[in-house]
Amino acid sequence: MTSRQRLLGDVAAGDDLDPAVRRASRAQLFLYSAATHNPHRIHYDREYAAVEGHPDVIVHGPLQGAWLSQYVTSWAGPRGRMVTLTWQNRRSALPERDYTFRGRVRGIAGDVVDLEVWAEDADGTVVMPGTATVRLPAS
Amino acid sequence: MSAHGLVPPETMALVGAVLSAPVSAVVTRREAQRYARAVGDLDPVYFDEDAARAAGYDGLVAPPTFVGHAVVEGATLDDLREDGLWIDRSDGPRVRLAVSRTMFGGEEWEFHRPVLVGDTVTAERRLGAIEEKEGRSGPFVLLHHETTFTNQHGEVVAVSRLVGIAR
Repeated sequence: MTSRQRLLGDVAAGDDLDPAVRRASRAQLFLYSAATHNPHRIHYDREYAAVEGHPDVIVHGPLQGAWLSQYVTSWAGPRGRMVTLTWQNRRSALPERDYTFRGRVRGIAGDVVDLEVWAEDADGTVVMPGTATVRLPAS
Repeated sequence: MSAHGLVPPETMALVGAVLSAPVSAVVTRREAQRYARAVGDLDPVYFDEDAARAAGYDGLVAPPTFVGHAVVEGATLDDLREDGLWIDRSDGPRVRLAVSRTMFGGEEWEFHRPVLVGDTVTAERRLGAIEEKEGRSGPFVLLHHETTFTNQHGEVVAVSRLVGIAR
């Protein structure tokens, strides 16, 4: 799991980040609810989720955000530091489906790299657009 | 009253107000690691002190977004609503809207300093901006809840702006 250290000199505006796929099982949704002390029924009770208009239990928006955080910090490497992270949960995400995380370097100012990052579903529809800034070491 | 009447003036007047008393919690290794495992993020800086120090931290570090969960207190079973969420019994001002269903819409984070296992973090939540928008299925409200997280040294470690969509 140790990721290699990315250095400032390795990065240029326009670079694409390698994609990463995330897929939540129902048990993962339960564990995430437990670890965050979140009792909202839409994440474990399918019948109740239908009452709120969802086709199934849904993946927590903040879990998708935590995946995005992981996507950015693993790209940056252990000595990189994430400075900002933003995302919008634009569409519901479902368990047992693949979501692909992608990103692109928008620019570099000093030692801070500005990233556009997002998650898309199997059809390529963006379910969660986002941004991040990361401080990278020069050496 | 706002353009579509979803945000009453007394709610508009609350922008910037502190919504509840500050909440403090110690960041424990077990809770931070349970969170990391539940996310599926096995970065060694969360699990291996040597790896964390090699990465420039003063000890085991918590996943950046964990700080928002570390301070969740919860409530009693009697305080659970039909949807499973807790009735808000905080003594702060109530954010009232003419719409009832609020969904998590996203979040904006600033990370100022790492949160280490053993740190005591204090969260103070304010009502940030309120925007009324026109969507495909009618008007809705974007509510920003701004939380500032401070450590035991009085240093701001993170700021979160949580975006709720109410319709």
